Amino acid sequence: MKHNKLHDILLAAPGYLVYTVFMIIPLGLCFFYSFTNWDGISKKYKMIGLRNFERLFQDASFFNALKVTLIITVITVLIYNVLGVFLAVILSKKSRICAFAKSAVFVPTVLSSVVVAFIWSYIMQTDGGVINTILGLFGIPPVDFYDTPLHTIVMISVIISWNGLGLFLVIYMATLNTIPQELMEAAEVDGASGFQRFFKITLPLMMPGITINSVLSLAGGLKQYDHVKVITGGGPGGATQTITLQAVEKAFVYNRRGYSSAIILVLFILIVIVSVIQISITKKREVEY
Amino acid sequence: MKKLLSILLCVLLVCGTCCAALAEETEITFCVNIQPQLPLEFWQGIADRYMAAHPDVKVKIDGNPSSNVTLFEYQKTLLATDQFPDVMVMQNPADFVPSGALLPFEDGELDYLADPEVGKIGGKQYVANYKKQIIGVFYNKDLFAANGIEVPQTWDELVAASEKLLAAGIQPFSIGMKDGWPQAQLANMFAGTDLLAKDTHWGAKRNANEVKFNNEDLKKGMEKYQTICTKYAGDNLNGITYTQMLEQFFTGKAAMLPIGSWVNAEVAKNLQDFEVGWFVIPGDDNANVVSVFVNEGLSIGANTKYPEVCKDFINFFFTDKETYSEFLKSEQLFATTKEPVEYEMIPLRKNMEEQIASMQEVEGFESMTGDDAFLPGLKDYFTNKTTQNIANGADIAAELDAMDAEWEIANEALEDAQ
Repeated sequence: MKHNKLHDILLAAPGYLVYTVFMIIPLGLCFFYSFTNWDGISKKYKMIGLRNFERLFQDASFFNALKVTLIITVITVLIYNVLGVFLAVILSKKSRICAFAKSAVFVPTVLSSVVVAFIWSYIMQTDGGVINTILGLFGIPPVDFYDTPLHTIVMISVIISWNGLGLFLVIYMATLNTIPQELMEAAEVDGASGFQRFFKITLPLMMPGITINSVLSLAGGLKQYDHVKVITGGGPGGATQTITLQAVEKAFVYNRRGYSSAIILVLFILIVIVSVIQISITKKREVEY
Repeated sequence: MKKLLSILLCVLLVCGTCCAALAEETEITFCVNIQPQLPLEFWQGIADRYMAAHPDVKVKIDGNPSSNVTLFEYQKTLLATDQFPDVMVMQNPADFVPSGALLPFEDGELDYLADPEVGKIGGKQYVANYKKQIIGVFYNKDLFAANGIEVPQTWDELVAASEKLLAAGIQPFSIGMKDGWPQAQLANMFAGTDLLAKDTHWGAKRNANEVKFNNEDLKKGMEKYQTICTKYAGDNLNGITYTQMLEQFFTGKAAMLPIGSWVNAEVAKNLQDFEVGWFVIPGDDNANVVSVFVNEGLSIGANTKYPEVCKDFINFFFTDKETYSEFLKSEQLFATTKEPVEYEMIPLRKNMEEQIASMQEVEGFESMTGDDAFLPGLKDYFTNKTTQNIANGADIAAELDAMDAEWEIANEALEDAQ
């Protein structure tokens, strides 16, 4: 078949156009505005060099937001991947219970994150919430899920994981299905135990799925916005604010679009660095058969 | 024949375009604050009444799309995307005036208001103030009577009353921080009593950098606020929403509710099985200062194509008796017009008016207007950071220092923009 370069370019053009308009240009603008003092409203702004970045690295609230973001990321990445692999292996068996469990885990994925956050904030309500009402029936005193910022952040991380686990499970199950059955049967014949089969065959062969899922979960955790916005709004006093929440607040509440762009740029660089490191680690562990 | 047909088509096209242009109706967008007491239907009703009286004008209602997005944030987004409305409910004019987004009213255009001077910024009026709200403490008269408590007239009496309620196993105050803003009302009350009562234009002095947030008077007020939050308002403030605050009070779980007069709308529903009273937060020696919010009203976007229509629409809002009285009734509000407006008032609302008649009025601290208004962003910093941290037991002087540091940043941004 004759290779037509123009034909290729024309076919790829819509994709490139969309990517340029919605990714490259906004990123370029974000980069540009991060060196300005633009308030997001005025037509005028000044170039202020690195002042936004200097202020950012002296801002205690930014480091708190970074800490909150990292805690959420670590918890969700662990749940998505450790529990995801575990559930994929357990639920890959063909039975009615497994089919039901798969659906049960997947259903929250189709719900909007805002809806999920609202539902859970009612469930976790200290006064009159579902959990505390049930505990009350057994004479157990109510649990205050909002008593310390750390408890609240852990609670939010669990809610985020509940909402998203289904998608990761699907990817792990798809990866699991690519493992040839003969390999497992051969290992079984050779006397390999269940643990040995899992750690020596299943897990190494699931590495491509682990690479995809860990990058997705990592980026998702670092970009976390909606659940926190609905459940705490970043409060009290900004103690549960994530980086994205802070960027939006600085841009739209405090009229500091230039500063907000600097926050987003730092987040972008952080995601790129972490993802590259992470991919290079997991890629090395991928095996071929 | 073809040529003739082409000419005919061209003529028809030109005529059609001209007719369409002539028939084009004037359309203005009205950006409103949708909330439980003032739902979309209420605002649409105003638009419908105006359109019925002015068939050549179309009023399109636009409101904040979700309760999670404040009107203020929504309007900033509209402005940033060149979709700023023609007429709008305005709560923070000081944030929009520096960028020239609002159209000032000319002298005499707001003569139907009792005080058209209130809230002027740089000598110009950008908001037709449509309501006056006061903040104070709603209380459960039955619980007070059962525990032998009189309405407190001093800070010490308020503390004694709270101790008495606590000893009787009743939560004295209902305060919640989960929605971000309700707790700030109590902080505003103490700032009014301990700071603004001494200097009503303290805000302008702060803007001129002549005074600091970290001062003895405000610190004293915030200490009182912290005492109430940490000792007398239960132990899960962070998880309590505004709705739950109301529920705690109206079901008798808590004896006092420090909030704005808009809660009269809830009292009017008469769902509680006790009598509700109201008092202003007392100072050290007396209870004679009331904080008043006059920060909200109607504004016009500077880029509107129809400034005269917008002004006429605002005029209609205030002068059409049905519209304005319905608006005031929604939250049992205080009118701002010269002409008195009658509406069905609950006895508590009348009682409030009688109580504050002889009191000193100061503006609500976080929502001071005109040249006293906080610099852009500081109102939210005070609400979402300072008052929440102090309520959680943070060091007050450090929090007020942080406010001063924020002021420096906001001022620098403002100077850069000018």
